[in-house]
Amino acid sequence: MKFGNLLIAGITTGSIYAMFAVCVSVWYRVSNILNLAVGDFAMVGALGVDNLYRVKGLPLPVAIITTLVVVAVFAYLYDQVVLRIAQDGRRPIEGIVITFFFTFALSFFIDGVAKVLFGTDVHAAPTLWGGPALTLGSLNFERAGLLVLACAVIIGGAFWLYIRFTLGGKALEASGENSLGARIVGIDTRQYRRLIFIGTAVIAALFGIVESPITGFTYLSGATISLTGFLAAAYGGFRKPGRALVAGLFIGVLEAMLGGYVSAEYGDTVLYAILAAAILAWPRALGFESAVSG
Amino acid sequence: MNQFLTASARALAWSSAVASSRAARQVPRGGVPSVIVLVAGAIIVLNYGLLYTGSVFVLSACYAIVTAGMAVQIGFSQQIAFSQSVFFGVGAYGVAILNSHLHMSVLLSGVVMVVAAGLIALLLGSVVTRASGLALAVATLMLPLIAVGYVSGTDFLGGPVGSPLNGTLWPGGGSTTLVALGGGLIVVVLLAAVVFIASRILSSDIGLELFVLGVDERTAAALGVRTPRRKLELFVLGCVCAALGGVVYAGTQQFVPETVIDPTTELALLIMLFIGGRRSPIGAVIGALVIQYLQGASNWVSVNILIVEGVLLTVVLLVDPEGLSGIVQTGIAWLRGKSEPASAPADLAAAELAGAELAGAELAGAELAGAELAGADPPAAAVAPAASAGRESPDEIAGPDARDATLLEVRGVFKEYGGLSVLHDVTLALPGRGLFGLCGPNGAGKSTLLNVIGGSVAPSSGEVIFAGTDITRRPPHERFYQGISRTFQAVHLIKGRTVLDNVAVACLASHTASIVTRIGRSRLDAARAKATRTLADLGMAHLADREVSSLTLETQRMVELARALASSPRLLLLDEPASGLSEEQRQRLATLLVTLADRTCVLLVEHDLALVAQVSERIFVLSGGHLVFDGGPADFRSSPVVNSLLVGS
Repeated sequence: MKFGNLLIAGITTGSIYAMFAVCVSVWYRVSNILNLAVGDFAMVGALGVDNLYRVKGLPLPVAIITTLVVVAVFAYLYDQVVLRIAQDGRRPIEGIVITFFFTFALSFFIDGVAKVLFGTDVHAAPTLWGGPALTLGSLNFERAGLLVLACAVIIGGAFWLYIRFTLGGKALEASGENSLGARIVGIDTRQYRRLIFIGTAVIAALFGIVESPITGFTYLSGATISLTGFLAAAYGGFRKPGRALVAGLFIGVLEAMLGGYVSAEYGDTVLYAILAAAILAWPRALGFESAVSG
Repeated sequence: MNQFLTASARALAWSSAVASSRAARQVPRGGVPSVIVLVAGAIIVLNYGLLYTGSVFVLSACYAIVTAGMAVQIGFSQQIAFSQSVFFGVGAYGVAILNSHLHMSVLLSGVVMVVAAGLIALLLGSVVTRASGLALAVATLMLPLIAVGYVSGTDFLGGPVGSPLNGTLWPGGGSTTLVALGGGLIVVVLLAAVVFIASRILSSDIGLELFVLGVDERTAAALGVRTPRRKLELFVLGCVCAALGGVVYAGTQQFVPETVIDPTTELALLIMLFIGGRRSPIGAVIGALVIQYLQGASNWVSVNILIVEGVLLTVVLLVDPEGLSGIVQTGIAWLRGKSEPASAPADLAAAELAGAELAGAELAGAELAGAELAGADPPAAAVAPAASAGRESPDEIAGPDARDATLLEVRGVFKEYGGLSVLHDVTLALPGRGLFGLCGPNGAGKSTLLNVIGGSVAPSSGEVIFAGTDITRRPPHERFYQGISRTFQAVHLIKGRTVLDNVAVACLASHTASIVTRIGRSRLDAARAKATRTLADLGMAHLADREVSSLTLETQRMVELARALASSPRLLLLDEPASGLSEEQRQRLATLLVTLADRTCVLLVEHDLALVAQVSERIFVLSGGHLVFDGGPADFRSSPVVNSLLVGS
């Protein structure tokens, strides 16, 4: 069952891409900033837990909670200091390109700090659910992969429920559709920008913790993760978390299939060529035109 | 490293002194920055070329060649393409292969590779530059990703190890001193040349086109900018600069590591550009210098380079989005402001107010002229102040007969978006002169019809005939040069530029020229002269040097109208020019429109029915994409269809 196992692998990596894509696009909706530092939060989550648990000898739950709290506090401070000056000042900095570079800079900064704190070796958070792979007929399910899927379903579902059924979710959607209009009817869009920034940072860190046993991270892994999340978000049209999720899954499955059937060595190269061709062929259908004007 | 700083400072001080003394005697465009680069670079190379400092400087100059090109393509024209690292790799690897495998000299193989890169960029660019904005960015982001996969898998290029060179950039050979200094000087000369070319392009008439393209591609096309060609030229320019940087990198470093085509190289280049100042070639050079200096310093800075770059980029962008060059410019402006305290902001505001009154007075004069003209012969219209703006109008030459000949014909136009029908079998014809109103409720398809005529939207079926030619499939910029000019519902002026430049955009007539021709000669002054005449004709000459976003809405709409008139159009499409204006301002506008209609054909989309009925000789009403009314103002006022649709029951 090569196809079945490739599909499982593809859905597992795809769900990772999808989660980061959702983080990128949800925050883009409220802030109009593409967050390229989301993968760096994931890296900090994984390496932070590893450092506290393995090196400092803290119990695992304490290590995880401490790491997530540190990420949340850092995200809060960044919003309060940099984003407040950049966006809420007398001369707000606008334009998708220039704001993009703030998150570039943030990504560099986090990587630099991680290098000092965690060193340059490959590490991973300990597996939360160890043991041999589960089998069902000829299909193999890695436990770490199942954990990733479970987290994706739970977090994705919680997001959906929040946006769909709570007043906060409606307000969130409103500030994404029309920031000025939302502010006029009394929605504090800045509060949502901060809330979602901290929320996506923590979710990214959590995903880093769950994902790292599969791949292993170094202090430079953040950029690669951000890139995949950014790409999936791009193919979802940047503003649509639902479409970003589907795009993430699709890219993951396509990557696994190309690696399995076309070429293990050049699978990724073919994948990127296909993705580039898709944008050039159907920019409008993929939602690029609307994203540009936003 | 401190020697490096003091040397740079001394060289900069000296060269800027030279530059400023020359500036008084009309330096050629782009002369000052390139002279600074040439002199300062040569001094640093000759003083420190053999030391570590010198080698860091030469490396930073290699990157600066790339970032100077990026300032034109990415910063100034906002065409974000992540193709630099790949073409840097094409140049560097190409030289390495030609030199070590085919034993070609570095200089010759460099020339070969720059030409080859240009051709590859032309092919690749004709595909990828069809995309705009983020689509272009994401599509080209794939290029480094694809290239990394290819290079790391091929033994030919050395795989993950890299590719060495046998030769050096300095062709003569000789002692190590000569090779190091000679190679460094070649890099500096090439960098100065690139800065010179970039500065000349940006200060030319095409530079103005590129600025508009960067702000809004659709507006640029409507103003006659040949956007597909400009985007391709920019892509090729950026790629050729990147390849040249790669060539001199290989020639001076004598080794090409796999990391040159990495996406991290792309990121490093972008950070240099944004720290230095994205819109300015010399800023991009400074950015490359600063980042390479920080990376090359063997102390805690280079160990924690990621933290330093992150903090530096954040702080610089928070202080000024235009980077270090923006900060320096603000500083210079502040110093100059201190020495000349006369120009206080309050005076400026008062000046605009007086100006507005003046414009009002001139327009009132136009009203007088318009009233007199009602009974006068059509040729006498040329006497009216506003009308003289169109002295080159073909209709003026064609004489009074043009009034009756059909200028524009819209035949059976349909437009569907998905399953939604926006225009349904719309047919109308307009003569060479006169004022025609187009009304309808919101969503009736008025703006879509204007877009179909202007060319920014292609109809699903039907034809648009202009002056006897079928223009249905012609791009907007061609229609502009055939004489169709338009304004937009929301004001689409180019922020950050003066009123004069905003009007001059419509006077450029550079659609047939290529970027390369503007290295030699600029036609910006001619365009500005024509724009000055147009502004003077409309009584707005005093506004010429004002930055557009500092103007009131009425004045902004007047500037947009001036821009639409500057090209002496045969057909003027106005999309709700009166929205947001007061009653008094509307009356001034109405007077002006009537005057205009004597020499050109005006199609006016407007919600203000009274205004439309007052000025139009014939009115069209659209509803749900159907043309439901076509008649004179008297019928318009009494028509039950119009009343139920627009006035409400």
